[in-house]
Amino acid sequence: MSCKIKFLPSDKEITVTEGTDLLSAAMMSGIQIYNSCGGEGVCGRCKVKIVKGEIFTDEKEKNDEYVLACRTVCKADMEVFVPEEFRVERAEILIKGKEIYTPAEPTDITPAVFEEKIFKLSPLSLKLHLRLPKPSFDDTVADLERIFREIKKTETAGSVMQMGLANIKKLPSLLRAANFDITVTLGNRNGTTELVMVEPCDTSDKNFGIAVDIGTTTVVAYLVNLGEQKILSAKAMYNPQVSFGEDVITRIIHAGDLAGLDRLHHTVVDAINDLIISLIIENKISLNDVNCVVCAGNTTMIHLLLKVDPSNIRRAPYIPVANLFPVIRAAEAGIKINPRGLLSCLPCVSSYVGGDITAGVLASGMSNFSQLTLFIDLGTNGEVVLGNKDFLVCCSTSAGPCFEGGGLKCGIRAQTGAIENFGITDDKISIKTIGNTSPIGICGAGIISIVAELFEKGIIDKSGDFVSGSSKHLKKTDEDYEFFITGNISITHADIKNFIHSKGAIFSGIEVLIKKMGIDFHQLSRIIIAGGLGNALDIEKSIILGLLPDLPKEKFSFIGNGSITGCKMCLLSNGAMKKAEDIAQKMTYIDLSTDNEFMNSYTASLFLPHTNLDMFPSIKMRETAAKKKSAKQTQKNI
Amino acid sequence: MEPAIIEKWPGRTYELTIGATKEEGGSRSKKVKLGGMSTLPFLFFEGTIPNPPAVAMEVWDVEPTDWPDVLKNEYGDVLTDPAKWAKKCEEFGCDLICLRLKSADPDLKNSSADEITKTVKNVLSATSLPLIIVGCGNNEKDSSIIMSISESTKGENCLLGVATKENYKTFTAAALSGGHSIIAETPLDINLEKQLNILITDMGFSSDRIVIHPSTGGLGYGFEYCYTIIERTRLAALSGDKMMSQPIITFIGQETWKAKECKSDETEKPEWGPLSERGVLWETTTSVGYIQAGSDIIVVNHPSSVKEVRNYIQKLMIK
Repeated sequence: MSCKIKFLPSDKEITVTEGTDLLSAAMMSGIQIYNSCGGEGVCGRCKVKIVKGEIFTDEKEKNDEYVLACRTVCKADMEVFVPEEFRVERAEILIKGKEIYTPAEPTDITPAVFEEKIFKLSPLSLKLHLRLPKPSFDDTVADLERIFREIKKTETAGSVMQMGLANIKKLPSLLRAANFDITVTLGNRNGTTELVMVEPCDTSDKNFGIAVDIGTTTVVAYLVNLGEQKILSAKAMYNPQVSFGEDVITRIIHAGDLAGLDRLHHTVVDAINDLIISLIIENKISLNDVNCVVCAGNTTMIHLLLKVDPSNIRRAPYIPVANLFPVIRAAEAGIKINPRGLLSCLPCVSSYVGGDITAGVLASGMSNFSQLTLFIDLGTNGEVVLGNKDFLVCCSTSAGPCFEGGGLKCGIRAQTGAIENFGITDDKISIKTIGNTSPIGICGAGIISIVAELFEKGIIDKSGDFVSGSSKHLKKTDEDYEFFITGNISITHADIKNFIHSKGAIFSGIEVLIKKMGIDFHQLSRIIIAGGLGNALDIEKSIILGLLPDLPKEKFSFIGNGSITGCKMCLLSNGAMKKAEDIAQKMTYIDLSTDNEFMNSYTASLFLPHTNLDMFPSIKMRETAAKKKSAKQTQKNI
Repeated sequence: MEPAIIEKWPGRTYELTIGATKEEGGSRSKKVKLGGMSTLPFLFFEGTIPNPPAVAMEVWDVEPTDWPDVLKNEYGDVLTDPAKWAKKCEEFGCDLICLRLKSADPDLKNSSADEITKTVKNVLSATSLPLIIVGCGNNEKDSSIIMSISESTKGENCLLGVATKENYKTFTAAALSGGHSIIAETPLDINLEKQLNILITDMGFSSDRIVIHPSTGGLGYGFEYCYTIIERTRLAALSGDKMMSQPIITFIGQETWKAKECKSDETEKPEWGPLSERGVLWETTTSVGYIQAGSDIIVVNHPSSVKEVRNYIQKLMIK
């Protein structure tokens, strides 16, 4: 039996089979209700009111007029009211007071630090303009072989070439109409060169590709001119999958049934398509000229993108379906570019170290040098890689979305208007925003700057608690303290705790990895930090907070979003992709969840800068000096 | 015979004195010295152990209702009068009195700061032993009374407790103004333990006037967790970590006398033996375990436990 459910106040109606839960019904009808547990009945955020119809819920503690949409099923026609705070349509889903389904927005292009010219230009998709010799009695080679012969002469493709039957059928008329002056698009598909497309005339200047970084929190896309090797523009948006859970685990749970997997798949593909459309409109190019997409993301994101069941990623012994997926047609995954265009994903290492890290390591160039390098990705999953050209070891810690501005009261992505620098002198606040516009929120770099400054000025103590009476900007709201940076942008006690947990996860990951390899912090030659937290990362402040090890500043470099940089490199060069595969294969994964040391190290790092100050000698020195000074001052006063 | 391998530790635990005599501005006839160890408990061949562990007995300012009769009977009618109770404990031969201000609990009598200070003064004049004074366990209430407790006992060099992550600021300020030492309590984690000590010393409180309460688990109720935490704390101290070199207190009585093993009577569990012996055995065994781990003060309830444990300590202190 099917039931008709009407959602109020939007008056949307949908017919579903009896027994469908209201959360699923709402999603099917296009109404997004915020929930963070993936419909497990745990988060208590998908509250709705039944206006008409009988209530069938297995909710245990029902103490108000609302029911949880995910725990309530329909058995007859119903009318359901979705309260404003839990509702809301696509463009305005609220997450802790801010929009998450943001439209595609321009974002900064991460400058490549690493000399990429070592990789020869051999894009995933190559366009060649060919003037074929016309057939004659002296040259009776068939149409298809005629094209192959000409391609071989250019020495741009491998010896194994193929073309689909559908395309071959079009050849005789196309070649003759074009007077044998054609452009072929070659796709590099798992070692075979595929003639993806044949067009009349010279269109070789119209060859574009898309690089996409699918983060748990943010999706970023670059439009690249493959011929000129140039990034035309970049766009970013929050990963709309956030409405099915903030972390990968809840999303994997949500993907537990086919419908859930389908929803997650479509959500991310829609987001990528939105980004692509917005990029090509801005650059006035045709969708048909976009011939390939390269994606990097953590293992779960790639599974969801390709609609492959990710459920074993979360079950011991944590086995993904594949780390290295073959190159497929983008259309197969639902990505809308040229219908014959290709999609390639950067190889993953394990269930919890994905292609985004492979891409970051590729972009950092660390696997080309003999010096010992530490690579840190400050994403929702904080990954740490240690190694050089001989070895690579990595671990993954769940840092949470705070470095990307997620999970904070006024946190935003690194975008125009995001506070990225903060200072306070004599209780007077000074801020700097990205683009120097009026502030709209705080990005990852801003959080680091703010917490460090509050800590240094004694407004928060070593445990991250606000010191009452330390600043006039400090106000008590809802039983807890909140520091107001502007009239409506603030940082709460919970935000600071959140940050400390994130930085603790990263630092303890670094510490355990370093200890496991039996080395000392001082043996590190370079520390490369990646992440979408802003234009710049204040190294000194990050050390003060105990996020990064206490080493000379010149050893650090910040490369921004390393994942998308690596993606772009692979888009432009098959050599880079081969290198990425090599990196992924070489990398040894250390599972922190089974490590005895990690928990101890983690709780020790939940302090500013750290419970064991001996690990931060430069800060210890400063603190001792400050103590001596204040002791002298007291003596003088007496 | 001496063992062939002798560990030489770079660190030593802080030595702390509780109580002050007349000359020192207090009114105690004796003082208790703790800590100062340069080796693990009782390894005399390796380092010095200048002070034996101290035994404290609890005195409440309300009559305990849920204590089993085996325990209550030992005290007779003094349980309603904290001053008499303290005197009795002194007769039982303990080193310190641990005054527990239960009546301040808003769910019990909700005694005011004035009533509390009166009790504290009465106990002070009834006994000549040094005092450990702990609140009722309600954070808010304890914070509101600790200042007047500290002021009213100024000069007596007491040990005030218990400061937690939530209330340490008030407790530290109070201990500073009254010149007392302080118990810092954390939930079974050496990192949290060290963090609280750092936070307290950051307020200008001397690090050698803190006593660590790493949480106490009763025998069979988490004892081994606490044991390893104490052991790790000691090892950190001996390795030179000054923020973990404080003496350690464990509250054994409170964990013992709520255990079913010390409460349920013989008809219920005949195979467990006579109830009259079980509690004391339980309390003594737990105490002995904690002393071996490195606890400097143990707080117990039963007079026989005091006797047994003191005997045991005496034997262990023979070099």
